[in-house]
Amino acid sequence: MSDKENLNAALAAATCALLGATNTAPVQASEADRWSFDTALLYYGESDDRVKDTSAAISATRDFSDERKLGLTLTADTLTGASASGAIAQDGPQTFTSPSGRAVYSTAAGEVPLDDTFKDTRFALNASWTQPLARLYTVSAGLGFSTEYDYTHIGANLLLARDFNKRNTTLSAGVSWSQDGIDPVGGAPLPLSQMLDVGNGANKAGSESKDVLDLLVGLTQVLDRTTILRLNYSFSDSSGYLNDPYKILSVVDPLTGDTIVRVPASGLQGPTGVYRFESRPDARAKHSLYAEVKHAFGAPVLTTAYRFMSDDWGIDSHTAEVKLRWPIGAASYIEPQLRYYAQTEADFYRVSLANGEPLPQYASADFRLGNFDAVTAGLKFGRSTSSGSEWSARLEYYQQSGDAPRDQIIGNQARRELYPDLKAVIAQFSYRFRL
Amino acid sequence: MKAIWLAAAALALTGCANVEPWQRDVLARPEMSPDAAPLDGAIDDHIYFSKEASSGGRGFGGGGCGCN
Repeated sequence: MSDKENLNAALAAATCALLGATNTAPVQASEADRWSFDTALLYYGESDDRVKDTSAAISATRDFSDERKLGLTLTADTLTGASASGAIAQDGPQTFTSPSGRAVYSTAAGEVPLDDTFKDTRFALNASWTQPLARLYTVSAGLGFSTEYDYTHIGANLLLARDFNKRNTTLSAGVSWSQDGIDPVGGAPLPLSQMLDVGNGANKAGSESKDVLDLLVGLTQVLDRTTILRLNYSFSDSSGYLNDPYKILSVVDPLTGDTIVRVPASGLQGPTGVYRFESRPDARAKHSLYAEVKHAFGAPVLTTAYRFMSDDWGIDSHTAEVKLRWPIGAASYIEPQLRYYAQTEADFYRVSLANGEPLPQYASADFRLGNFDAVTAGLKFGRSTSSGSEWSARLEYYQQSGDAPRDQIIGNQARRELYPDLKAVIAQFSYRFRL
Repeated sequence: MKAIWLAAAALALTGCANVEPWQRDVLARPEMSPDAAPLDGAIDDHIYFSKEASSGGRGFGGGGCGCN
């Protein structure tokens, strides 16, 4: 309840910030010693009543003289809707115990099971300080904090940059560390333990935690008067509890592929099939390489970016992004945006677990660890006002299409939907102004 | 991957570009800054972090969210 009030207050504050901007003072020549604000309202909605997220963000930057800069960002998110549990579709209806362990939810025949008990509110606060350290050095330090119903995050980062070659080249290196606490609704399930009847918490433990260490090395290079290149290599090391506590796998007959039927204890509600909670390794190392080129063709600006990511869970991904900012008149622009993403599945990705076979050490049916590709297509329109403010609107469509690995499909699973497409609309309104 | 990294390093060391400070009219435009729309970037990172297995690249890995 208090979360909801906080959210309302945050939304009200963001709205006031948006409306209050019309009373801003006339533009002054100097950019130093002033606050600038970047605000955004976001709606993210998936089709078929899946996840919906409404979010408000306000970012305030204070420019001091001597290129010193303070940045503060506050974000409030509210999430509702259903998300795929990892269990597979069946010819008949299925019932599951909800994560809290206090109720059940059901899925109709032929449908991919979605857990509709999903609801959360998240607040995040980030602060950063940037300043020159010596003539050619810049240092930036940041702190971050976020909280939601079942999750808390604290983090800190430090980035050092040095200019070379008449400031045509910048090399940077940074480190970021975070510690997250996970306190799942109903407790963290023991990996690969079976989903139990309502009221039976024998397989649930308390809270868990994870640490993430990121290292980043970057190069920014001016290629010519109208082109700039950015290259980053980053390494990310996560350790601790890396499971999604709400994801499960169906345990199936090794010949038919149908979920093993289970009857709840007499007088109790509970799952009508055998389901086990997922189990991921407790460490993950990721390597990413990112390249971005910005080029101005006169007034229009083309941005292209590519990222390759590879981790020790067996996932490789490629991301390509193109944006073209095209001015319309003196005050407006449109920017078509296109993004393509493709990933391979994790080594331990499983469609289901075969009954009677020894349990693997690690297994997850989370679609996000599966083999899929995704396309985002969108358009942004921006307009600056006579007072120097700018508003913009962005509308995007996101679609994921995945495949279950052929060699994992058993019997009747072949004729059922195993990997439904995910379709989402993203709408964003932003307003940027100075005080 | 190594080849790209080496090429980048070579590029930087040889100082292939010699754009003088007074020739930076285009590069100084706000939309040419690598961080031209930081809030858009943060929103994108947050969405993709919660829906895909990759994160970061442009900056630190993102995260700090129970959504993945």
